[in-house]
Amino acid sequence: MIKLFRTAAVAAVTALALAACGGGASNPSNVSPTGEIKPREISWLLSRPADGAVINIMKKLADDYAKDHPGFSLNLITTPDRPSYIQKLETLAAANKLPELFDTDATPFAQQLAKQGKMVDAEKLLKDLGVYDNYRPSALDYQRFDDGSLNMIPFQFELEFIWYNKALLQKAGVSVPKSLDDLPAMCTALRKAGITPIAIDGQDQWPLERYVAYQPFREAGPDFIQKLKKGEAKFSDPAGQKSVQWMEALGKAKCFQDGFSSQGYSDAQNQFTSGQAAMYNIGTWELPSLATDKLNPAVRDNTDFFTLPTTQGSVTAANEYVSPSGIGMAVNTKTYDPLVSDFLKFALVKYPSEYAATGALSPTTNVETAVPANATPLYKKALEKANDLGNEQAMPWDTQLDPTTNGRLQQELVLLVQGNITPEQFTSTMDNAVAQNAPKFFK
Amino acid sequence: MLPNRSRLSVLVFLLPPLLLYGAAVLFPILQSLVLSFFSWNGISDMEFVGLANYVRMFTGDDIFWRSFFNALGYLAICLVLQLGGALLVASLLTSLSRGRELIKTLYLLPAVISTVAIAFLFVRIYSIDPVGLLNQVLQWIGLGALERPWLSDINTVLAAVSVPEGWRFTGLYMLILYAALLSVPLELEEAARLDGASRWQLFTKIRFPHIRPVWITTTIMATTYGLRGFDIPYLMTNGGPGQSSELLTTYMYKTAFTSTDFGYASTISVFIVVECLAAVGLILFMLKRKADA
Repeated sequence: MIKLFRTAAVAAVTALALAACGGGASNPSNVSPTGEIKPREISWLLSRPADGAVINIMKKLADDYAKDHPGFSLNLITTPDRPSYIQKLETLAAANKLPELFDTDATPFAQQLAKQGKMVDAEKLLKDLGVYDNYRPSALDYQRFDDGSLNMIPFQFELEFIWYNKALLQKAGVSVPKSLDDLPAMCTALRKAGITPIAIDGQDQWPLERYVAYQPFREAGPDFIQKLKKGEAKFSDPAGQKSVQWMEALGKAKCFQDGFSSQGYSDAQNQFTSGQAAMYNIGTWELPSLATDKLNPAVRDNTDFFTLPTTQGSVTAANEYVSPSGIGMAVNTKTYDPLVSDFLKFALVKYPSEYAATGALSPTTNVETAVPANATPLYKKALEKANDLGNEQAMPWDTQLDPTTNGRLQQELVLLVQGNITPEQFTSTMDNAVAQNAPKFFK
Repeated sequence: MLPNRSRLSVLVFLLPPLLLYGAAVLFPILQSLVLSFFSWNGISDMEFVGLANYVRMFTGDDIFWRSFFNALGYLAICLVLQLGGALLVASLLTSLSRGRELIKTLYLLPAVISTVAIAFLFVRIYSIDPVGLLNQVLQWIGLGALERPWLSDINTVLAAVSVPEGWRFTGLYMLILYAALLSVPLELEEAARLDGASRWQLFTKIRFPHIRPVWITTTIMATTYGLRGFDIPYLMTNGGPGQSSELLTTYMYKTAFTSTDFGYASTISVFIVVECLAAVGLILFMLKRKADA
């Protein structure tokens, strides 16, 4: 019996070891492979809306490319739900079965893949294609790892604003906050007037995690999260404490709708667009529903937005806030060949103009975004903000922290805002979580 | 006793399913057992860490214990609803003379609805903004003070995610127990009634002892399903708020596929296997002792 068990154990370990190793002999910095272009089907594992602009345009470009290269096709496998996508990606990476192209943020997990040479050097690739200088520096910076290396190519450029309902603010006798610190008092006033201050998608957890990043970004700049994730900075530091206290204050002032933790993306958006909630924090990807005639006429003329407020003594400027270039696309080193290279050259050159024509902000500056015919004046105002951005950007923390700490932070934040734990408990739990989990990812 | 030749043919026919079972069930369990001694994130080299994962699980992981006790609470609520509810409905059914089929079908209906639909349904029922069914009913009957966001309140969320799972399978166990109750010999019941037995005595002395073997099976089924419960809590709250509705299964899943800590997740899964085996052993032991007594 023991012998049998031992044999099975050895077999199990061998099978896993074989799955973990193998493959990936190519060189990540060899961006222009030589040889014949042999058309075949290539796959892109991605996490973008199934009928969104990126997918529609890439499908069209792939069809155009296939006309000159019979036998070529681009298989798009999308999982828009981000947590499910990440699980899929990580499982495929563990099985060493990643396709030719795959989406990822600049997460610690992705950095490990890059370190193992599994992702093509995107900076070299873009320079080789002659398109590198077209990209907005901040769109590329968003995709970079801490060491400055670039392995993902952006397809979007978004700005995150706090949208608000002018009539509701007026009804409560409050105005647009000048400082982040004004927000809790503003919520109290709105609640008194019977208005839900902020609509938030609590179910997906990242929207609440944005808020915890704001105070440290203003107080200590973008470095804070870079240090925090490695355990070099702590929640018990002044910038961290400011954030923790502020989150607690938001909760005490009942800033978010009742039962927000079990409400989803569309619930939150409905609350704002139906005129029940005064504020809604979301990016320019929602311009088609917030700044066109699709928006409920009752709130259309009352809708406006403001950018992330600063604070007293803020080290970052008012024109510096969250400006993500979305999830990036990585190119798998193992399957990178003349075909993939040639297709990317074809697609990346043509993509920006097609994308800008849909009314979205291109990650490049060589094209002008077309404002749709049904847009409200707010649409143009939002687009123009992209030309007036500072050098620093607030990074979403969910792309920065190691996955275990990130999961714990998302859970504890809900408890902190709901008043189920004290700021002290939150601080010690989170500092312990970082200390326990960060070393494994940032060796 | 079968003659030799037919014993051989029985073995020949039993072997394929046994091999399949070994490959699909036993091998992964063994594999988890092996992995639980390693630290592995899926893309790094596997590192042998001995019992470190077990030490961490039992002594250094507050979420593990929290989810263990949550899982027990979840199990208790599921069992009361599924077995208690099922036995009650089945007993009442036997005394009905008309409409049995309709009621049976209605009770069984939730068991055939997809889990995702049930989860969404109950998210709406518990909602406070817009007001869901539960809060609305409380308001109507004058219990407005009890209104709350059931899934966001850390004191109610565990019960709130357990109820749909219990409700869902009540009909299934009801059907099994109802079939067993039908097999109770009528002449025995009649004799007892002539001797002046009350309904309660009839139930405890005649009916229940008769369905005991079926009761044991359903208890084991419900317990192991309850211990493995995953989908409804995962879909409704993802374990939150905080860890208030985190079960061992959802915690294991997150550890494996979100934290990519496959070694530690295997350690938790080994614990779940042992826990299920222990639960079944305990049930058999208790019910057998009672039957012997």
